[in-house]
Amino acid sequence: MMATQLKVGDRLQAVTHEVTEDKMVEFEKVVWDRGRNSHSDINVAKADGIQRTIASGQNQMAFLHEMMERNFGDAWVYGGKISARYIHPVYAGDHLTANGLVTEVAVVDGKPRVTLQIWCETQDGRKTSAGTASAGQPADARSWIDGGKQAAA
Amino acid sequence: MSEEATISKVWESIPVGDDLGTLDYVLTAQMVADYRRVVDNPHAAYPTVAARHPANLFYRKYAAVMRVPNMGHDSEYHNPPVAGKRITISGRIADKYIRRGNTYLIVEATAVDEDGRLIEKSRLVGLAREVGMQAAHANIAKKWGT
Repeated sequence: MMATQLKVGDRLQAVTHEVTEDKMVEFEKVVWDRGRNSHSDINVAKADGIQRTIASGQNQMAFLHEMMERNFGDAWVYGGKISARYIHPVYAGDHLTANGLVTEVAVVDGKPRVTLQIWCETQDGRKTSAGTASAGQPADARSWIDGGKQAAA
Repeated sequence: MSEEATISKVWESIPVGDDLGTLDYVLTAQMVADYRRVVDNPHAAYPTVAARHPANLFYRKYAAVMRVPNMGHDSEYHNPPVAGKRITISGRIADKYIRRGNTYLIVEATAVDEDGRLIEKSRLVGLAREVGMQAAHANIAKKWGT
């Protein structure tokens, strides 16, 4: 079955995760441990003028990635682009949802290209990041997982 | 406070185009598994990339004098990294500017694996803060109400 081809106005299947203090600390260690920082240590956060630890912007980017992977498959993983700005902090306890809205479908270098508004928002509807992303039309293949044998979920 | 008064001498001294050199590491299966676990995504395609290639190259050269908290990211993805392969990242200062009285550095990194496959290119939008100076993002924190 061919993956659904997107058109302007379509919404992507969203992705939601809870951000926890433990995950924030572990994320800092796993991604590239540079010691204590304002994402993992309240004392460093306060020294930076912030009263609470805040989740790394890269943590938000991870959720946006997951949304793009789920919706686009190989079309995202091989050739996807994203530009995001972190516009409000994310705290432990927030339930963060990554969203995407198709704003343009065009032919670029002879191939269809889907452009989207992307953003993350909390359970209260507050946007914490915003930007744009683009990829080819969604593909069934998830070849980074299984060498291309698995169809789209 | 005037815009000029907030400009750090260190920031002024960092030239656009500054070569941040190269850095390499082996992406192990354990690193991939750890990343996927912590982001609750068992199929995350770019484990270390969501990552900090630009920041790590920057800090290797400037950690003693400058911080660049991440205010945004621009990335393009070409081939997902393969566990067990050595990845080499190279970086440079791609741009710098002042916006609303704050100094920014754009740090670019390109990652290629040992087989010559282009993995990704990323640009970190860093809110530049000279070490020892008041945290630039303290003002932003006030705006956030934190």
